[in-house]
Amino acid sequence: MPVRGHVGSDYERLRPEFRVIPNPWSPSERIMLVPPIAPDVALIHAIAATADGMLLLDHMEDDALLAQASRAVVASTERIVAPEELRRGDGVILQGIHVTALVEAPGGARPTFVRGVSPVDADAIHEYVAAAVDDATFKRYLDRYVYG
Amino acid sequence: MACVIAREVRDGETVAVGTLAAIPACGVLLAHFTHAPRTTVIIINHPDYWPFGGGSKEFYDFAQRGKFDLFFLSGGEIDQHGNLNLITVGDHERPRVRFPGGAGAAMLYYMPRRVVVFRADHSPRVFVERVDTVTSPGATPPDVVRPGGPWKVVTPLCVFRYDRQSAGLVVESLHPGVSREELGRRTGFTPAYDGVTGVTPAPTHAELEILRTRVKDTVARTYPRFATTAFAH
Repeated sequence: MPVRGHVGSDYERLRPEFRVIPNPWSPSERIMLVPPIAPDVALIHAIAATADGMLLLDHMEDDALLAQASRAVVASTERIVAPEELRRGDGVILQGIHVTALVEAPGGARPTFVRGVSPVDADAIHEYVAAAVDDATFKRYLDRYVYG
Repeated sequence: MACVIAREVRDGETVAVGTLAAIPACGVLLAHFTHAPRTTVIIINHPDYWPFGGGSKEFYDFAQRGKFDLFFLSGGEIDQHGNLNLITVGDHERPRVRFPGGAGAAMLYYMPRRVVVFRADHSPRVFVERVDTVTSPGATPPDVVRPGGPWKVVTPLCVFRYDRQSAGLVVESLHPGVSREELGRRTGFTPAYDGVTGVTPAPTHAELEILRTRVKDTVARTYPRFATTAFAH
């Protein structure tokens, strides 16, 4: 896809997959093309979902876009609700056709926030940042919170 | 810095503040609460100042259409030609320092009419002769669409003006109490002066009062930690 800017920066040197071409509709100018990002899997946490995979997502985040770019979408959700309740919710709706798998996992976004449900856990994020500084402290972090 | 930034906001414009930009957010809000009530203020992810319903794509598309009059960027390194580096220092494959990455900064330095670069620390490590990697160039070839570009650079010591003619930074004003000797010592390139270099007007009592009350309460909605620490006085 075409993007404005970029031409004349070191992205031309560092990212050979970014192509610079004459703009087909205005050939006296050059424009950059970047290839799409196509993740194998997107992991998304929904505010709510229906049993057949329709998701209620945060309207200020990019989850719906991410889902549509990815080959497979694994969604977790705070709770499973009826379709009419989902449609009344505050957020954007992503249809189930984009969703590969769904799991009900309340709190599945922690320590980040779920709009309207739970706030960000700033202390937990600071703990992660501190632990991520070196391999030994990060291993202790993983042992405690992931493998423990 | 917030007061200096506020003076760059013109009433009625569309002004946007991106991620990790608490100081510009304060400056823009100060302007909005004083001389720029009709300005459209956009602060990323702020519950009251984020008009986009479709996530960041809508924001970037809006910016690519050249709809912002004023925007703010920073740099891990900033050089005398107005180039910004948000990627790496040293060999790109085995960098000595890795910054967060350019995100939209290679587009957002081109499309908004005026870009104010800000940096809360002024040292020779940041203000270098030549950035190692150019995420966002100060100047571009003539066959690239660039309706906007660098306008000012605001630091705790001074305000630089970007001079399109020489494609370089010129000291517009030194903040009160900062000497040319000090600025030279704390800058990695030799600062350029022109005949009109002055002293930055100090914040007024009224400006500080609004910053410490209404602005502080408003930025706290997106920058809670900044709001509790930055306004201590």
